[in-house]
Amino acid sequence: MRMVHVLTSVVGTKCELKVKNGAIYEGVFKTYGPECDLVLDAAHRKSTEPSTGPRKEDIVESIIFKASDVVVVTFKDVDLNFARKDNFTDAAVSGRINGEHKEKDLEPWDGGETHNSDSFESLDTDVSNGWDPNDMFKYNEEKYGVLSTYDSSLSTYTVPLERDNSEEFLKREARAAQLAEEIEASATYKARVALENDERTDEEKYTAVVRGERETHTLENKYIPPGQRNREAMSWGPGRQNSPRLGQSSAGPPTPRPGPHDYSPSSGADQRVVNGGSSHWPSPCPSPSSRPPSRYQSGPSSLPHRATTPTRPPSRPPSRPSRPSSHSSHLSYPSSSSCFSHHGPTSPASTLVKRMSSEGPPRMSPKSQRTPRAHRVPPCRTSGVSPGVDLISHNAPGEASVTPSTRSSSSSGGTWSSVVSGAHRPRSPRQNSMGGASPGSSSLPSPQTGTAPVESVNTPTSASSPTAASPAPNIVTSPSGDGKLQFKKCLLRSSSNPDPPCEMVMTKPARDSADKPKDLPLDKASTVGREGAEDSVVVIAAGTTSGTSAPSTTTTNTSKPDSPAAMSPSTSAPDQKRTGLDVTSQGVQTTATSTFSGPKHEEKEEKKEAVQVRKSTLNPNANEFKPRFNSQPKPANTPTPPRPQGQPSPSIVVQQPPTVYSQTVCFPQMYPLTPVSPGVQVRYTPMPHMTVGQSKPYRPGKVPNMPQQRSDQHHPPGTPTMMHPATAAGPPIVAPSPAYSAQYFTCSPQQFTSQPLVQQMPHYQSQHVFSPVMQGSARMMAPPTHGQPSLVSSSTTQYQEQTHTMYVTPVSVSPGPMPQQYPHPSATLHPHPQHPQPSATPTGQAQQGGPPQHGGPPSHPAASPVQHPQHPQAAAAECFHPPQQQMYSALAPTPPSMTPGPNPQSPQASFPSAQQAVYIHPQQVQHGYNPNHMAHVQQAHMQSGIVPSHHPAPTHPPMMLMATQGPPAGPQPPMPQTALNPIPVSSTTHFSYLAHPQVQPHHQQQL
Amino acid sequence: MAAPGPGEYFSVGSHVACVTCLGQRLQGEVVAFDYQSKMLTLKCASSSGKPNLNDVILINLAFVSDVDIINDRTETPPPLASLNVSKLANRARTEKEDKLSQAYAISAGVSVEGQQLFQTIHKTIKDCKWQEKNIIVMDDVIISPPYQVENCKGKEGSALSHVRKIVEKHFRDVESQKSMQRSQAQQTQKDSTLSS
Repeated sequence: MRMVHVLTSVVGTKCELKVKNGAIYEGVFKTYGPECDLVLDAAHRKSTEPSTGPRKEDIVESIIFKASDVVVVTFKDVDLNFARKDNFTDAAVSGRINGEHKEKDLEPWDGGETHNSDSFESLDTDVSNGWDPNDMFKYNEEKYGVLSTYDSSLSTYTVPLERDNSEEFLKREARAAQLAEEIEASATYKARVALENDERTDEEKYTAVVRGERETHTLENKYIPPGQRNREAMSWGPGRQNSPRLGQSSAGPPTPRPGPHDYSPSSGADQRVVNGGSSHWPSPCPSPSSRPPSRYQSGPSSLPHRATTPTRPPSRPPSRPSRPSSHSSHLSYPSSSSCFSHHGPTSPASTLVKRMSSEGPPRMSPKSQRTPRAHRVPPCRTSGVSPGVDLISHNAPGEASVTPSTRSSSSSGGTWSSVVSGAHRPRSPRQNSMGGASPGSSSLPSPQTGTAPVESVNTPTSASSPTAASPAPNIVTSPSGDGKLQFKKCLLRSSSNPDPPCEMVMTKPARDSADKPKDLPLDKASTVGREGAEDSVVVIAAGTTSGTSAPSTTTTNTSKPDSPAAMSPSTSAPDQKRTGLDVTSQGVQTTATSTFSGPKHEEKEEKKEAVQVRKSTLNPNANEFKPRFNSQPKPANTPTPPRPQGQPSPSIVVQQPPTVYSQTVCFPQMYPLTPVSPGVQVRYTPMPHMTVGQSKPYRPGKVPNMPQQRSDQHHPPGTPTMMHPATAAGPPIVAPSPAYSAQYFTCSPQQFTSQPLVQQMPHYQSQHVFSPVMQGSARMMAPPTHGQPSLVSSSTTQYQEQTHTMYVTPVSVSPGPMPQQYPHPSATLHPHPQHPQPSATPTGQAQQGGPPQHGGPPSHPAASPVQHPQHPQAAAAECFHPPQQQMYSALAPTPPSMTPGPNPQSPQASFPSAQQAVYIHPQQVQHGYNPNHMAHVQQAHMQSGIVPSHHPAPTHPPMMLMATQGPPAGPQPPMPQTALNPIPVSSTTHFSYLAHPQVQPHHQQQL
Repeated sequence: MAAPGPGEYFSVGSHVACVTCLGQRLQGEVVAFDYQSKMLTLKCASSSGKPNLNDVILINLAFVSDVDIINDRTETPPPLASLNVSKLANRARTEKEDKLSQAYAISAGVSVEGQQLFQTIHKTIKDCKWQEKNIIVMDDVIISPPYQVENCKGKEGSALSHVRKIVEKHFRDVESQKSMQRSQAQQTQKDSTLSS
């Protein structure tokens, strides 16, 4: 090789060639052969006698010398760089110069002793910076005879304006003033001024931008109403920070969050539109998506949880207690309905929606809504069944809401508090982009909401109070505070937040429950929905808890809890349930508070009911899907769904905590929901959110690796979902990740559901922002109600995950995905900031959360081993992977779990299984990652499991509880984490991670 | 042929010395080695002493003895730069034409001075050729033997004046070289006389 190169580089040079007999030939080296034969052109035999040159007749056109005849060939004075193509590249030039000028040694410059002191000092001490003004004046006067002055009027060069009171002058003056005002009021002017005055860091601008872009894209692609867009634009104009964040990346750390808020309103509008797509919800929830949704829902639920959970605790606690399913329903509703239904579907929700949007949904909503809408809508439409699931879940939630509350209160009394705390955190983040300021919560919250700091602080307090006090009160308080803060942030949309923080929370829960019920009914049967509601509730709780805890631990916990509770996950299930409940409660509270104000919540509830009705219509379709899921996947599917649910909820929760997160979470939730049927949409959205959130979180991510890995993992899962939405869900996703695809394939129904989900997603999206929690709940719901659906959902969730990775493609493919992605990014971003703060613990938590969120872990129980290992390997990466794995594992695992309890129990059981599966995975994952994490997860599971008690979880719950208690730095922390985690679960690890950080902060605060 | 080096008998970058069957001692840095043909390529400092040029020696190890590896370099050789083949082809073509042109002049019985002048002009002005014994530059200026400044004829202009300058400088340089050689010769003679 080098011989070829060298010989080639000397082509065209003169050479002397000696042959064996001693003769020397001179010629121009023409070429060479593979056997090193040499060809000389114009060669002549060099006579021994020195002569001037060869005679014409001595020259031979060309001679070929065999290598065996050649002794030595000498090329004299060859420039080996002659033919180098990169002659003018820096490397080539410097390389040559270095070779040619090496002999020139650099000599240190000795400034000269004589000048050093004086000249240097003069330079340092010379303040005049050149000519002294007086010197210049003097010089001008002497040289040009010009007397310079400091007169700003430049009377020497200009003529003063003659002011008079003439009408003409006044007119002109007014005209000038008007023009000036117009110019200064123009968006362009403001934007430019904002640019100049923009103190955001590049990271905020650009990193965040990515998220924002996603959001914007999602919004644009999806259903962002012109008004909303305008708003966004406005936001951009006035405060680029917000707008950029929104536009570029809602995730944009603090500022982006604010933007998201702004957007959220718009998203709210989107949500409304989505609501129109409410059918999506039903479809997603109903069928396959149900489980996936469950994950997603969990994720979404987490987001929704904020809203829903809050609501649950306050309002529903009473009613919910009666119906466990309510939790799931709440969750689902919160996530899906609350977010979506509230926002878009229900006009009353409009207020709610507004609030939701304003709080978290907006943030989430844009992304989720946008992406979800497209995806959701299609899915829902395509898969009417899925909606049914959602409806069921939702319906159940409505009833279950009471149960959930009870559960949450009972099992997650601590969880609630934690949830609350989590909620606070989220809210705080949302409200205060500063979020970071707030200790524990700040991290998560802050990311979500730039202003979060203050809120975060508030939230912590509230959180603490909640923990101490009954869940509901706490929730209420926290929600109120959060809601206020969030609302304040959201100002645009939710000025009412302050009004009924508690009410909001309560209402939110109710709404969530209502929404969930609606969704559930729509999807499958109200009965299933009820059961599912319970499950969903649990899931939701988990989701919320995870969401609240969003910070890694909570999410994980929640996710785990959910899965455990739902399925057998044994310990995980209970834990998950407990955590889930807690989380949900927290998440709900947070979400509810944040997104919904008391009144709004109420309205939302009503709306939700309406939505439910709508969904019910959808549900029929969902039912169809459900069968598929149930029949085939149930075991696997259900498991998977649960995982998704669990994951979603965590993710959701995570998102919810921080405004950004909440948004992202919402999206994830949304996605999850969507996958699941109604949930499908939600799930999808959640997934995206999750992914986004995860990815972003990771990015901001304290741990770069983690984020990436997470993103990857999440993305894979998300991508799948995304894929579904995009292509119709299935194909792309399948392509993305074989394993996933396989799972998905198994879940084929899921794919269908995915589509439904996609359709639903839109709805969710619209709602998503607000309903992250709702979605999560929806997911939760869906899973429970739709054991099979859950399967679908799980598949969807997986897809979603894949889609996350795929996001881009999904986005392109379907508007929905795009939005989701965007939202996610922002969410992720938000999460990241938060996570970063928690950093060490957060990461750990996050990891834990991730696993839980993944839900995969829970489901993994069976498959989990493998997944677990992976999870442990890379906390961050694992987180991401875990989700996927969880998803997969969930699929596989779920079946077992599903078969055992889910089916029997009906939706709830199925959901639980799914959830459990999910949770289990998280737990496992968490375990693998960190003992603490594990503990958190367990806690989450315990909580969730406790909440779901009905679910198989019980067995797991103990374990979970133990674990959760251990990490506890707080039970509450776990709860929050779980809540956050739930979202992460949907979005999977990312969220969970995010959630975890937040959770940790929360914990700290609480502690 | 014994040379250390797994896979390659000579590692690129190492310095090798050897003696050919014709008794010529060669030394240089290994640039390439082809195991199949036993061809070794060495890079040596330019015999003309120009810093940016090298002498490249292609050795058939079948006719070499006493191969010594002066020092072996373990560093990985630098990556090979892509080559501009067309540039190489052009060089080969021009080199061949130059040589044929020179052969033509020699065949025509041009004096050594004339050939030297042609080479000098050719360095500056590529567009020059032999027409019998006349040097034609740019199809404008004709330099006929004995190739002195006054022998430059053509249309008055910058071209003619420019060629004249070149011719003038050429002979001035030749004179200086001759004087140099003379002085050196004298110097050597003196040294020899002194020594003797």
